[in-house]
Amino acid sequence: MTTYDNDALRIAIDDGIAVITLAMDGGFNKVNRVLLEGLAGGLDWLDAQEGVRGIVLTSAHRDFCVGADLEMVLGNDDPALMLEATAALNAITRRLETGKPVVAALNGSALGGGYELALGCHHRIALDTPKSQIGLPEVSLGVIPGGGGTQRLPRLVGIQAALDVILQAKMLRPPKAKQAGLVDALAPDRDALLAAAKAWVTENPKAKQPWDTKGYRWPGARPASPDARNMFLAASAMVYKKTAGAFPAAEVALSVVQEGSAVIFERSLEIEARAFAKLATSPQARAMIRTLFFHKTAADKQKGLPHVEDPGFRKVAVLGAGMMGAGLAFVSAKAGYDVVLKDISTEALDRGMAHIDAELARLKHLDADARAALRARITPTVELEGLRGTDLVIEAVFEDLALKHRVIREVEPMLAENAVFASNTSALPIADLATASAHPDRFIGLHFFSPVEKMPLLEIITSAGTDDHTLARSLAYCRAIKKTPIVVNDGYGFYTTRVFSAYILEGAQLVAEGHDPVLVDWAARVAGMVVGPLQVFDEVTLTLGVHAMAEAEKYLGVASIPGAELVKRMVAADRKGKAHGAGFYDYASGRRKGSWDGLDGVRADLGVAATDGSVEALGERLILAQVAEVGRALDAGIIRNWRDAEVGAIFGIGFAPNTGGPLSYADQRGLPELVAALRRLEAAHGERYAPARTFVEMAEKGETFFG
Amino acid sequence: MSAYIFDAVRTPRGRGKTSGALYTTRPIDLLAGLLEGIRDRNELDTNEVDDVVVGCVTQVGDQGACIARFAALQAWEGNSVPGVTLNRFCASGLEAVNHAAAMVASGLHDCVVAGGVESMSRVPMGADGGAIFDPAVQWKVGSVPQGISADLIATLDGITRDEVDRFALDSQQKAAAAMEDGRFVRSILAVRDENGLPILEVDEFPRPETTLDGLAKLGASFEAFGVQFGLDTLVRRRYPSVDRITHVHHAGNSSGIVDGAAALLIANEAKGRALGLTPRARIRSVALTAEEPIIMLTGPVTATKKALAKAGMTVDDIDLFECNEAFAVVPMHWMRELGVDPAKVNVNGGSIAFGHPLGATGAMLLNTVLDELERRDLNTGLVTLCVGGGMGIATIIERV
Repeated sequence: MTTYDNDALRIAIDDGIAVITLAMDGGFNKVNRVLLEGLAGGLDWLDAQEGVRGIVLTSAHRDFCVGADLEMVLGNDDPALMLEATAALNAITRRLETGKPVVAALNGSALGGGYELALGCHHRIALDTPKSQIGLPEVSLGVIPGGGGTQRLPRLVGIQAALDVILQAKMLRPPKAKQAGLVDALAPDRDALLAAAKAWVTENPKAKQPWDTKGYRWPGARPASPDARNMFLAASAMVYKKTAGAFPAAEVALSVVQEGSAVIFERSLEIEARAFAKLATSPQARAMIRTLFFHKTAADKQKGLPHVEDPGFRKVAVLGAGMMGAGLAFVSAKAGYDVVLKDISTEALDRGMAHIDAELARLKHLDADARAALRARITPTVELEGLRGTDLVIEAVFEDLALKHRVIREVEPMLAENAVFASNTSALPIADLATASAHPDRFIGLHFFSPVEKMPLLEIITSAGTDDHTLARSLAYCRAIKKTPIVVNDGYGFYTTRVFSAYILEGAQLVAEGHDPVLVDWAARVAGMVVGPLQVFDEVTLTLGVHAMAEAEKYLGVASIPGAELVKRMVAADRKGKAHGAGFYDYASGRRKGSWDGLDGVRADLGVAATDGSVEALGERLILAQVAEVGRALDAGIIRNWRDAEVGAIFGIGFAPNTGGPLSYADQRGLPELVAALRRLEAAHGERYAPARTFVEMAEKGETFFG
Repeated sequence: MSAYIFDAVRTPRGRGKTSGALYTTRPIDLLAGLLEGIRDRNELDTNEVDDVVVGCVTQVGDQGACIARFAALQAWEGNSVPGVTLNRFCASGLEAVNHAAAMVASGLHDCVVAGGVESMSRVPMGADGGAIFDPAVQWKVGSVPQGISADLIATLDGITRDEVDRFALDSQQKAAAAMEDGRFVRSILAVRDENGLPILEVDEFPRPETTLDGLAKLGASFEAFGVQFGLDTLVRRRYPSVDRITHVHHAGNSSGIVDGAAALLIANEAKGRALGLTPRARIRSVALTAEEPIIMLTGPVTATKKALAKAGMTVDDIDLFECNEAFAVVPMHWMRELGVDPAKVNVNGGSIAFGHPLGATGAMLLNTVLDELERRDLNTGLVTLCVGGGMGIATIIERV
């Protein structure tokens, strides 16, 4: 057997078939200079070998190749250099696909640039493992595939099928990837994978890419056909509905697929490369990559946070069987804990268990026995006694300090030695709750987001009395239930609730100023917000808003604005939100209809002057109201780590992901300009816009958050 | 009232093949890039523009659906500028200018941007079909491919293969000298990608290395059509005595297939002043003529005569000429008929060297002659093109 190796790969030729095994340092194969030069070197060496019939491309690591080296992408903000980098990748894939038969044996995930490498092979076989994902997630990071993905995939599976993957940044498990045509075959294990790949090489000695074959016909609608035209038009509408124009990557991906489909394959790569270079060097994509990839990954890995391997939690109790409590019981049981779900009412428990059953039914990958076993781990009870020996208790009872104090005093004596008491309060200061605890060092805030089964974030709040070991154990629990943690200091509303409140209250304020909720919500989406403020307000209920405003006033002494008065009046007028069928919007059987036509009646005498109602002005106010609040959270020492300010805002409350987060927004705007804008708004609309001390000082010193 | 030219720009011309530099650029982007250039060079408030008139021959696919309007929308803020796309075959670009000039001179419009666009790599010639080669039209009107018309003129005039090849070599050499001398720098706006990086900065088609020997080796392009397919016979309905056509034209002495666009800013004097612009030339006269469609390509002769007569001028009153080199024989025949001094014609090379982006060429030639009048400090220029269907077009400008 003849062999070769370099920094990126090793090659073994056996019976005329060269197996190229990507084996980069660090446990992952990433598309970067090392990989490209390694592949070029390997192919050069192969060219000099006699009797090579074909190539199998695979990986020594768990994954095949997880995409471009994003550090390399961030390290390069020059479009001309970015074009060179894509040209190097395109040269390699082109060389692969125009040479001897080559099969990608995808032993693990093949994503982004990794999957594009596989698209440059004549055939793709994937190891059928649930750990593996295949697809093109670039659009979710503000860029597009830059290694031929927008051109090869449509030519392989058709325009519509390719758009489904590219525009939605899909990552598919192997069986779905096979169904969608992203891979040609599946293999049950590694040996079978390599055997199938070698067999394909043997059976297809003259393999060529379809697009390099004479008489090639596009699968599905041919470019420039009326069908394709309709498809692109419909896709434009689909993209815009999702992005409201705030996320150019999806728009660019769509036009690049269309533009590329109109030209011959080889030249289409130039169209893709130019668009990729522009996006990848744009401040927006770079901020998105930094937050959505690097900061998110760092948060998931709990970098810089105290660590214990085993928190010693066996039995977890959840107090309160509402939707949140039931959800917490479910995700805890799913993570393997024995769970007690406690409520004072059996009806509430029944509803909670029904919710859990509904969630269980969605776990399609589990068989009936596994589901039954999972359910059996959850014990509903109304008895305090059921909590005996609990290692971690999470209270999710009504947001009332006195009630929570009573619960803490009642429950603590039942718990195991060294148990952690966590409150799922969304706003009340942990230190204030901990006054009722006999063990404030083991008292912590675990603020979950609803619906907890879906929302990825966990905001962990430590008070001055919480010890590091309790934090470390809570973080271990966070790992077990697979949430992304941010860790913040104590203070009313902590981080996310403060910012979220500022957002929806500003939405209400804009309505008080005479703007239509429909326009306000659209302006928020155009600014990049995931959901409009009034739509959310209706969902969390205006009643809750009134309650929270009263609490906030108590703790933070926030001056009341007409928007707050509007919300109170709406509650009084029985416009309490979506669940009540009436809020800022009318609802018919749970579906949002138009804005409430009675708004003028309740806002008429609020004495608010008319304000700029352009989409830009409304969007800026909604963003800056939040950024101003983030600044105050910085001043108040709530935020321990800038990374968490970004991750928390985007994953907790849907802050505009296109900005990379509120601090990235500040950087992109430039702190001096941000401070100036906040002062303008402060002068026009009130002190809630006043720029935080932190912003002002950083602006004066010419500092930035992330460079 | 008179119409004045205030600015003129064009793209470099790219080879009109899938390997050409501009193949990956959509024609709307070629045109929009120029409209942006016109705006930026003149600090033009584009809301002051009354219309964008664009010549484009093959108006299907990328060039369908009124490309003029959508290029204006894409290039310029605001939505206030209409657009019209017109087709007078190879005269379309000059027709657009003349059309704009007519509207301005009449006082109906004050300010119009006129030009042309053609991406022949993306929208092949003839992709728009048409009645032109229907048998019914053949019986009623008569119609042959242009190359056969060109070879027919050479046959009737007794122009030899060597003469057309020498003309072609001359075009290449003049083009090379002009490029070397940077004579087009002022008017050529590089085609750039979305990053602002250049896709093409100078004309891609010229072959300065061309030799007479090399040209002599090329096979006549229309020999097969004319002789083997028998199309030469079709000319006999009009030219009964021609029983054999001498096929002299080939890829090296005919205009090249290329991609490109051009645009000119045309306004009346008062509007120009209001916009803070200085006029470069006045459009003195325009002419359209038509004759029988089989000979097809002799229109420049009649159009030139008509434009001169309208202006009260003679051939000697014109300092520089551009007669489109659709085929070498076209300007050769035209010079003979009118007695034009070859030293004044296509002095910086023509479509044989640079290529002929159908709908854009007329506007490009006007731009070229204006630049050269200024460079040489001369006054009057005439541009003329042969046009499909037997038409001819000419425009006379004079510097102001």
